Amino acid sequence: MELLQFARGPALTVALAVFAFGALWRLLGVLLLERRGVYSAPRPGAPSIFASALAGIIGKMWPHATFLKQSLFPVLNGYLFHLGLAISVLLFAPHILFIKSISGLSWPALPSNLVYGIAVVTAVSLVAALVHRLTDPVLRLISRADDYVSWMLTFLPVVSGIAAVSHIGARYETLLAVHILTVCALLVWFPFGKLMHAFLFVVSRGETGIRFKHRGADI
Amino acid sequence: MTIPSTLGEVLAQQGVSRRALLKYSAYVASILALPAGASRVIAENLAKARRQSVIWLSFQECTGCTESITRSYSPTIEDLIFNLISLDYHHTLMSVSGAAAEHAREAAMRENKGKYIVVVDGSVPVKDGGVYSTIAGQTNLAMLKATAKDALAIVSVGTCAAFGGIPQARPNPTGAVAVSEIITDKPIVNISGCPPIPEAMTGTLAYLLSFGKLPELDHLGRPKAFFGETIHDRCYRRPFYDKGLFAESFDDEGARKGWCLYKVGCKGPIAYNACATLKWNGGTSFPIQSGHGCLGCSEPKFWDQGGFYTPLAAQAGVSGELVGTAAVAGAAMGGAAAWIARRHQRSHLAEVEALDRSPPAKSKG
Amino acid sequence: MTASTTATGVAFDAQGQASDEQRRNLAMQALVRDLAATGAAQLESCVRCGQCANACHFYVTTGDPKYTPIRKLRPLEQAYHRHVGPFAPLFRLFGIVPRVTAAELEEWEQLLFDSCTMCGRCTLACPMGIDIADLVKQSRHAMFAAGLIPDRLELMDRTTKLWGSPATPSEDFADIIREAGTQFGVAMKIDEPKADYLITVAPAELTEHTKALADAAKVLNALGVKWTYHSDGFEASNIGYLNGDIALQETMTRKLIDAAIKIGAHTLVLPECGHAYGAARWEAGRWYGDKLPVRVIHMTEFLDEAVTSGRIKLKKVGQSASFHDPCQLGRRGGVIKAPRNILAALGVEVKELADAGTVGWCCGGGGGVVSNKRADPLRYRVFEMKRRQVEDAGADRFVTACGQCRITLNLGASKYKWDRKAESLLELVADNLIA
Repeated sequence: MELLQFARGPALTVALAVFAFGALWRLLGVLLLERRGVYSAPRPGAPSIFASALAGIIGKMWPHATFLKQSLFPVLNGYLFHLGLAISVLLFAPHILFIKSISGLSWPALPSNLVYGIAVVTAVSLVAALVHRLTDPVLRLISRADDYVSWMLTFLPVVSGIAAVSHIGARYETLLAVHILTVCALLVWFPFGKLMHAFLFVVSRGETGIRFKHRGADI
Repeated sequence: MTIPSTLGEVLAQQGVSRRALLKYSAYVASILALPAGASRVIAENLAKARRQSVIWLSFQECTGCTESITRSYSPTIEDLIFNLISLDYHHTLMSVSGAAAEHAREAAMRENKGKYIVVVDGSVPVKDGGVYSTIAGQTNLAMLKATAKDALAIVSVGTCAAFGGIPQARPNPTGAVAVSEIITDKPIVNISGCPPIPEAMTGTLAYLLSFGKLPELDHLGRPKAFFGETIHDRCYRRPFYDKGLFAESFDDEGARKGWCLYKVGCKGPIAYNACATLKWNGGTSFPIQSGHGCLGCSEPKFWDQGGFYTPLAAQAGVSGELVGTAAVAGAAMGGAAAWIARRHQRSHLAEVEALDRSPPAKSKG
Repeated sequence: MTASTTATGVAFDAQGQASDEQRRNLAMQALVRDLAATGAAQLESCVRCGQCANACHFYVTTGDPKYTPIRKLRPLEQAYHRHVGPFAPLFRLFGIVPRVTAAELEEWEQLLFDSCTMCGRCTLACPMGIDIADLVKQSRHAMFAAGLIPDRLELMDRTTKLWGSPATPSEDFADIIREAGTQFGVAMKIDEPKADYLITVAPAELTEHTKALADAAKVLNALGVKWTYHSDGFEASNIGYLNGDIALQETMTRKLIDAAIKIGAHTLVLPECGHAYGAARWEAGRWYGDKLPVRVIHMTEFLDEAVTSGRIKLKKVGQSASFHDPCQLGRRGGVIKAPRNILAALGVEVKELADAGTVGWCCGGGGGVVSNKRADPLRYRVFEMKRRQVEDAGADRFVTACGQCRITLNLGASKYKWDRKAESLLELVADNLIA
């Protein structure tokens, strides 16, 4: 019990503080850099900046057919674990109660055993992503410590959550504490590694959307 | 009437058949999750068991544990167990006897030196020399130490004796502690619960009498047979949890339909006890069945785990203030970083231009 | 010129006598200068998914992971994290991100110049929307500053500075125009003091493709507009843009725009050249503000306007053709429909290549690669892929709208004794004009 109290008390507070501190530091440190002007007249009929950014953010959600052919596995597997993570994190009843207790926000949950199944699929998908990274020559060459640390810190909350729900390996409160501590580790690492793409993709895709729609080009 | 010396004789005297003893033994074996052959061993050993001297110490307690173990709706064979044991001292039951009771305790300790079992209910106050609870002018602390000295084993009955319980709840004015924090050189079995399930107490005693040793214990010193699984895992409402069907309040449709009480604060997932299987009052019901969430009373510090009606997942002790401060500080750092970067870029640009005016020889020979 | 080899066996050229220290510093300064919020957000967003590799013709045709596009940005990224990123002061203080070394820059010369055409297919494939092609262009600024670009490109840079064009001295331009007029029997306009249309050219049109000069004139004469070529501003290919020589890019841009302003032109027509479009259409405003006093359009857009407005009439050619989309015009310029409109007006059935339009494969020679002799082996591998696509499409003709693409494809054709030629869309229009 003491470990659990520590995990969801001081540990979580510190982790959230580090997360907020680091994420805002990094986001503003990027967004407040100098901006280059657009140097040219837009193509006639180019959409507004906002619509262009939105087109980039949404358009990049699915690859062009020709790229999909070549990257079928990473794309589909990527979708699988992103959706799996989103569902596991946001639609599991205890998580919603937890979020509600912190933020006051609440929404309906999916059946717990369904989320459990999805979490298991997510874990498998994450393992597949790691195997792909370790075996694909391109990924092996371009991967760095960040990729493996981020993978591990994403994977651990998933498996510790599965273990906590299914009471595998230790007592529930211990597993729950471990689960929360792994989430704390994830939160602490989040702002400093590639996981920040969860926020930055909006900016990056949006900027590209603006650049290409300005030219009347596809995204 | 001769005083019977074994349980077999007691049962015979009371007109209880050997078949009834076998049936009880089978029951004990099953709730303790013992192998099939064990029930015959229990029956034989119980029949041969000698009267066991038991000293029952009641410290900072509410008598609920005693109520639980002594009250039965119909006479059962558990009552007969009490006929077998020699309950040489029970402070609450014997309070009217005054000094005579204390003499009985001392006599039992002398006569059964090294062989008697001490049952404790209630926690032990240790603050200010333990003055907050005394019996016959003796502090609980002193009495426990003295009584435990020559005991065979100690059974801490109830969450107070086992873990400190309600007297230990914040701010713990009396410095209440569990028995195990004071007695460290004797075998101790904890039968937690507020109160514990009667069958958990009698079953453990039956095991002690049958096998002369403690049953298998968990990391909190509790018999695994009764405390090995969570209420949640064995709860008949578990399917509703899995389906995501929850009572949102105690008078809504979900509550009337008997859906899962997780959202109204049920602590079933962290409560290790046998309520969901053995139930109470002769297998009639248990709290969740009557529509109230589990309080997790068999667990250490259950009183200080946040509200009984706060969902388990919602008990994060997050300080919003710290997080907010960190966010503001982070934003400031981000702004500062961008400002520094812009300055740094400009100074680099200036250097580039200076170098451009006197470039390294770039023409080819 | 100092052709050398790095410790890992990668050939590189170095210009000038700068020490390693100086080169490194100059490169870092250029990298740091160019980085702004957009590039920063994009460099921060990479998740190393590797999907850009499958989009790159150099990776796909060699299978060598070192050509993975995002990897080509490593020096830029390192400079970013050390000098500009949110944690840069800490990274510098604790040495977490080391300085880029001269050896790394030497190694990266080949990756940034020989094996990247800045075609932007990687940008299109990137799920995070990182404009890798644009960031390669930024990286080239640093390579130029450090004096680490292929000698062949540097030679063109010097020639252009000297002559105003990599093909010919500016003084000879008027003569070349007049000669082309005589040779192809077309009335030329050169150095007119006033005109509505300023027509510009690409280097190949001043040497082997001189017919293009006459073809453009023929169309303009047919339209009956006031137009001219002008010796003050004719060279549109902008080698500075390709080489990362910002100063030269500015000089070449100013020549075009200033000439247009001088003669009061309302439209500046760029030649059939891809990177000319990238440099003039999207970046000229950098030195003038976004409201350029003149409209900048590509020859293909100009022809499309003339054809679809019905101001010129074309003979029906019949037959079928595949159109090779120049990357800077199509994928990065948004001009995809215009060439197809023109082909339709010519009565040509378009048989698209397997990947056409936005997702079309680069010819393999853009971004200066075709001029960089060292990159020939890589370029020919890309040609083989392109050739298969053209053959699979099974059209009678093979048309494009970029002189560099044409040269690249026709060089490949002659190397492999392929009997197909990449044709000019402008030429096709001019040859089938109903006067």
